[in-house]
Amino acid sequence: MIDVLAAGPVDLLATRSYYAGTFLLLGIGAYVVIASPNLVKKVIGMNIFQTGIFLFFIASAYVEGAQSPIVGPKAVGPFVSPLPHVLILTAIVVGVSLTAVALGLIVRIYNEYGTLEADVLQEVRTDD
Amino acid sequence: MIGVVPAVLLGLVIACALATAVLRDVLAAIIAFAAYSLGIAMIWVLLQAPDVGLTEAAVGAGVTTVLFLLTIAKTVRPPGDDIFESLDPTGLLVAVLIVGVLASTLGALPPVGSAETPVAQSQVTDYYLNNAYEQTHVKNAVTAVLAAYRGFDTMGEAVVVFAAGVGLLVVLGREVFA
Repeated sequence: MIDVLAAGPVDLLATRSYYAGTFLLLGIGAYVVIASPNLVKKVIGMNIFQTGIFLFFIASAYVEGAQSPIVGPKAVGPFVSPLPHVLILTAIVVGVSLTAVALGLIVRIYNEYGTLEADVLQEVRTDD
Repeated sequence: MIGVVPAVLLGLVIACALATAVLRDVLAAIIAFAAYSLGIAMIWVLLQAPDVGLTEAAVGAGVTTVLFLLTIAKTVRPPGDDIFESLDPTGLLVAVLIVGVLASTLGALPPVGSAETPVAQSQVTDYYLNNAYEQTHVKNAVTAVLAAYRGFDTMGEAVVVFAAGVGLLVVLGREVFA
């Protein structure tokens, strides 16, 4: 921790830029989900938030100079860790399933209420 | 230390995410998001995760974009001529708080690419890398872990996809095929 403080913020950013990128993507994703009145854009924001977390996992598995984990009998290391890659592969597919159901609900909401803006939707629903 | 190419790609990805956030027209936001997915797929390749890169390019940039485009084809784009969305103070406050709190942990994280990170030193990583080929005869350790060591996990993933498909048909009222 002490040598981290001695290194200063520029060095901190240069060695951990993927993590900084993760944090920014999480912030942008959360902003879109909260701020955008449009339901489709809220789902896009959710997807950005999600890929921010993927970036954290894949960056944590990375080792400089290592190869992708194709092991075989003749392969020589070092290799990056395969486990975070597997977790993220699963997460990508689950994320698409989530997006598909969310967008299905959005189409249904549009058919029922004729709008995709969250504030208009709230007014229409209180009038009912 | 991050190289020039990864730094440019990371900047491009964050710029695309920002463009997605500020563009008011949903079609424009979807196109910016597709560019974002493609950029992040290239980052996966640079981080030695080609399997994740392939899946992201096919599923993230491909299938997800098609799903979004189908949705706006069946619904509406927001009315009005504004190019950019107006700034939302509450959302901005929350986003800045999230980034601020997370950024305060940056110094406690190990440098990216160091061989001393907990993930690289982990016994689990060593076990998979040393034994995957002998035990499964699959050269790609990612495939070996996905289909053999964590096969039940992958089956659970297939169940989620199936449930999503069923859920989608029920939501859209198409569960009966005439």
